[in-house]
Formats: sequence, structure tokens, C-alpha cells
Amino acid sequence: MDSSVHLDNVVMKFGDFTAIQQSDLKIESGEFFSFLGPSGCGKTTILNMISGFLDPTEGAVKIGGEDMRGVPANKRPTSMIFQNLALFPLMTVAENIEFGLEVRGVNKRDRKKASDRLLELVALPDSADKQVSALSGGQKQRIAIARALAVEPRVLLLDEPLSALDLKLRQHMRTELKEIQRKTGITFIYITHDQGEALTMSDRVAVMSAGQIQQVADPITLYREPVTDFVASFVGENNAFKGSIQDINGSEIVVDCGPLGKLVGKGVGALTKGQEATLFIRPEHISLIPVVEGNSFDVTIKEINFEGAYLTLNAETTYGHSLAVQIGSDQYSSNMTPGAHISLSYHNKDAVVISGGENV
Amino acid sequence: MFKQLKARFGGGLAIAILSIIAVWLIALVILPQLLMVDYSLRPNLLPSELGGEKDTYSLINYETLFANKIHLTIFLKTIWSSVLVTLLTLCVSYPLAFYLAKVATPGQAALCILLLIIPFWINEILRTFSWYIILAYKGPLNSLLLALGLIDRPMRFMTGDGAVMLGMVYAYILFMIFPIYNAIENLDMNQIKAARSLGAGWIRTHYRIIIPHAKPGIATGCIMTFMLAAGSYAVPALLGSPGSRWFTQIIYNWFFEGGNWNQGAAYAFLLLLICIGFIALVMRIFKVGLGDIAR
Ligand SMILES: Nc1ncnc2c1ncn2[C@@H]1O[C@H](COP(=O)(O)OP(=O)(O)OP(=O)(O)O)[C@@H](O)[C@H]1O
Ligand SMILES: [Mg+2]
Repeated sequence: MDSSVHLDNVVMKFGDFTAIQQSDLKIESGEFFSFLGPSGCGKTTILNMISGFLDPTEGAVKIGGEDMRGVPANKRPTSMIFQNLALFPLMTVAENIEFGLEVRGVNKRDRKKASDRLLELVALPDSADKQVSALSGGQKQRIAIARALAVEPRVLLLDEPLSALDLKLRQHMRTELKEIQRKTGITFIYITHDQGEALTMSDRVAVMSAGQIQQVADPITLYREPVTDFVASFVGENNAFKGSIQDINGSEIVVDCGPLGKLVGKGVGALTKGQEATLFIRPEHISLIPVVEGNSFDVTIKEINFEGAYLTLNAETTYGHSLAVQIGSDQYSSNMTPGAHISLSYHNKDAVVISGGENV
Repeated sequence: MFKQLKARFGGGLAIAILSIIAVWLIALVILPQLLMVDYSLRPNLLPSELGGEKDTYSLINYETLFANKIHLTIFLKTIWSSVLVTLLTLCVSYPLAFYLAKVATPGQAALCILLLIIPFWINEILRTFSWYIILAYKGPLNSLLLALGLIDRPMRFMTGDGAVMLGMVYAYILFMIFPIYNAIENLDMNQIKAARSLGAGWIRTHYRIIIPHAKPGIATGCIMTFMLAAGSYAVPALLGSPGSRWFTQIIYNWFFEGGNWNQGAAYAFLLLLICIGFIALVMRIFKVGLGDIAR
């Protein structure tokens, strides 16, 4: 069955305020797709449009190719897991799970069968008759998943469902969610402001900022080849150097970073000579060993933290840029103390140059 | 309680506060009631006979009601009509309370609540009297209906219980709306959305999610409205006709026209008893405890 979701040039306005700028995006059948962005960027608004609690001001939401305009939330092939889970407190666990089937007029025996099977799936086989208030956070979480799956949705919408859990449980639930998605083959649309969550679980991620979709890509591409300065600085850690483009040699861009000198990196998107641009280098791509191309700068160590397999350094260039560096523990030497001067370098291919740089 | 008060106000003040509460409770609430119980159990005697051999305790005053067909009918009608008033008020209030709590924007809700409250700044008698004017034989409602051609002769609205019940729904609607509004107000909007997302239509969402959540509020509203309706004097006195007397009017007559306080007290206690029974019944039906209602 086609359970793709197509946001066909949708725009969402609340009065004068545009919560979602024009976006066009196709989520494939059976995909684990995430929306990642800071608080208030419009993630929940997107889910509300897909689930039918809002109709877009312009454009259309299509599920399985069908335009959903005017189809109310209770008639859409979607089911939503809420940020606060919203389990029904006056019902038992089984009644919660069976609610969607009760609505569909399924008889008591088949409902019971379905809820037993789902409780099995979420690994809570003995809690059917428990009161919701008697469950732990992680158990509630799993019941919410079971309840949403009970109606056999084609698309499951998850609004930051793990944000209330502690770190350990969160990591555990990530694997479990992924496993459930693989078993059921349902399209998962997942919302989060936690990039770790988005990167580990998703097939593809859409990064959003202020109502705008900045980039849609698989996690590795997102990390390695960000296309906007927002994505470069929001996903993972990054060091940014502003400057203007001095020269373009094929894909290699030379950026004049003022007193820091000329730094070279890979260009992203359309760039022209003389334009303002920002060069990004990840902390783990900076090394102590001089590299042939000669992108190097001298820094003073401000702080050094030993993290086991690697070290993180906080350093400052002679001109006051602060810089995060991550190196393997094997590169440690005893003269690396706060205040020490060292020289750092990187490979051209590891740096990206993106036009502009207001967000940095 | 004494400990908490002492911790906060010190020993002397704590004793003072507790004695004031005790005096208030005993002298102004419990003693007068006990006096009325005493009255209701004794026959109505001339002052000279007080303390004489006729002055004995009996249930005779209570039996009067069951012996007097007319009074009994009015008693039962009062209870039944109060139940109807309660149900009618509930039917009007629930949608309004839901609208105020979950649909209206804060501005609209504030405006509606203000519009609901303003009439209640006016004295109950005056408010009821305005209905008397509206419903009068030559009143504006009849004129309007005549002008619209819906009727060709003015109607008598104020015969029978219709006008009384209408007046009561109007008089007590706030006591129903506010508890329900409060209950629905604190329902998490995501509960409603979750039900919708699982496929529930509006009717099912109401009776499976919203009404169960609002149950304590509904119970409180029903109890208050019923008590006020059953104990109402002004509304039936103004909007009723001789054929639609309320039990409170009979009690009034015993006290102030019949001069038989003993009989009046017995009738009043019977009404109170029924009201308490009604509260117990409502709490049973809605499966709520006293704690839920006091919330
Ligand atoms: N019904 C509404 N009316 C007016 N503005 C709204 C409405 N719903 C959302 N907004 C606005 O739209 C923007 C996006 O809101 P949204 O809830 O989608 O953010 P979000 O990305 O889910 O944030 P969070 O991570 O905090 O949940 C916010 O600025 C919010 O104030
Ligand atoms: Mg949100």
C-alpha cells in the first residue's frame, strides 16, 4: 500500500505570521523520516497538518497520493504519538490500546487479541489490566506506541515522544522504535530537537529553522555536506570562519579570512568571487600533524579535556577566534597544557565553504 | 488543625480562632437546626399547653405530608421538576462550558463569561421579575410572536410549571456552567487530539474522554442546581400560578400563614432528606466521592 506523504508546496499561516514557509517534500512509503530543528521552528505544525488538526493555508498534504484537504483527523490513515503521550488516565492499559478498535466497531474478543499481540510487541505482556498511573515513564511510552499502532495506521507521527525520558531509557527506546518500524514497515515521521536521535534512527532527516526546511538528506550527507550555514552549525559541532571568497579552483574555494590568512575548503552551492562566505571545519577534522596543503593556524590552548578515546581542546587563535578541536588520545603529549602554543591544520576536503553566514 | 494554627499564629491566637469557628458552627449552624428538629417532633400547641401532657414527641408532623394528597403531590412534583430543571440546565450548560473551555479564543471566552455574569449582579427577584415581564400576557414575547404571525392570540405562558422551570434554568445556569467549565478547562487538549487521531468522532470523543473527565464538575453542577431548584422560593412565587405551587411555598405557608412552625419544620426536614438522598444518588451514579466534588 502506498503510504507516502507528500507536502505539496504547503504554506501555513497563523494570521500574519507564517509558521511554515513554502515547502515541498516527499516522504517515501516505509521510510523513517525525521524533522529536526530548534524549538518553535514549526515541527509540531507540520505534524498537525499531516494528522489533520490543521489544514495548510496553501498547497496540499497528500497521503498515498490522495489530497487530504478537508479530511478530518479521525478519518486520516495516520496516528499520532504526542509529546506528553496523552494516554487516557481513566482507562486501563488494555482499554487505551483498544480504544481505536472500539471506535472502529471491532468486537471485544478481537480487540483483546489485538491488544495482547501489541503488548507482546512492546514487551509488556502482563500489563493489560494495569492503571495508566501505575506505569513507569518508559512503560507509558511503549503503551502510547502500542495504542497508536493498534489502528494499523499507514503513517505514524511521533512528536518528540522520547524527550521526557532519561538518557539511558531514551537510548534504549531509540533501538526499540527502530525495531518496531522495521517489523511493521509503517512510514514513521519523527519530530525531534535532539540531533543524536534524528541521526541515529532516521533514513532521512529534514533540518528546519524558523519555518523553513533547510536541507533534506540522509544523516551522513547531512553531517558531511551541509548546504546551509544553519545546518552546518546546528548538526554536530563545527568551527566557523567568516571571510570573503578570493579564488575558485574547481570545487576548491579559497577564502580570505582576514588576519587568519587564506583557508581552503570544498564549495557548496553557487559561489562567486568576492562574495561573503563561511568556512566550516569539524573539531575532529583538525589535526596537530601538519598537512601538505598548508591550511594551518597557530593557537593557544585554553582548556584541555581528556575523554578516554579522545581529547577535546578549547583553543584560541592569535586573533581571538575560539576553536574546538578533537584529537585521538594517541596524539597527546605532555607539553599540551593550558597556555601552550601549538599549530593546527586540516585537509581541504574536510572543510566546507557556504555562502553568507548570518546564522553563525 | 490546632497544631498547624499554633505553628502559624501562636497558642493564644490559635485558641481564639478555633473558638470563633466553634461558636459559629455551634451557635449559628448546629443549635438552630437542632431546635428545628425539636420543633418538628412536637405538636403545635397553645402557649398554655406547653410542657403539659399533650407536649410529647411524635412523628405525627411528618405523617401529615403522606396523609395530605395535595401536599404530597406538590412535594413529588417539586422533586420531579427540580430533576427536570437540573437536566435541562445540564443540557444547556455542557455545550456552552465546552465551547468556553476548549473552542473559544481567550478573548471570546472572557467576553462570554462576562456576559453570563453581568445579569447575576442584579438581585434574583429583579432578574426573575424581568422574566415575568417578558412572559406576561401583554408582554414583549407575545407581541413578538404575534408580530411574526406565529400565533394569532396571546398565549398564557405562566400557567403550569413551564415558566417556573424556564426561570430556574436561567437563575441557576451559572452554578452548572462554572463547575463543568473548570473541569473541562483542565483537560489536556492532547487527550482530545489523541482520541481524534485514533479515529473517534466528536460524539464518541465527548462521551468517552471529555464527559468522564468532567464528571466531578457535572456532579457538582447537578447537585447545586438541584438543591437551589428544590429550595427555590422566589422563582415559583413570581412565575408560577396557583396551579404550579412549589413545596417551598407550602413550607412558607405553614410557618407564616398557618402559624404552625412544628408542621413547617417537619416539611422542611423532609425536603432536606430528599435532597440529601438526591446528592447520594448523583454521587453513586457518577461514581464520585465527596473529595472529588470539593476539588
Ligand atoms: N495555533 C497557533 N496560532 C498561532 N501561532 C501558532 C499556532 N501554533 C503554532 N504557532 C506558532 O508557530 C510556530 C511554530 O510552532 P510549533 O509548535 O510548530 O513549533 P515546534 O517546532 O513544534 O516547537 P517545539 O520544539 O517547542 O515544540 C511558533 O512560533 C508558534 O508560536
Ligand atoms: Mg512541538
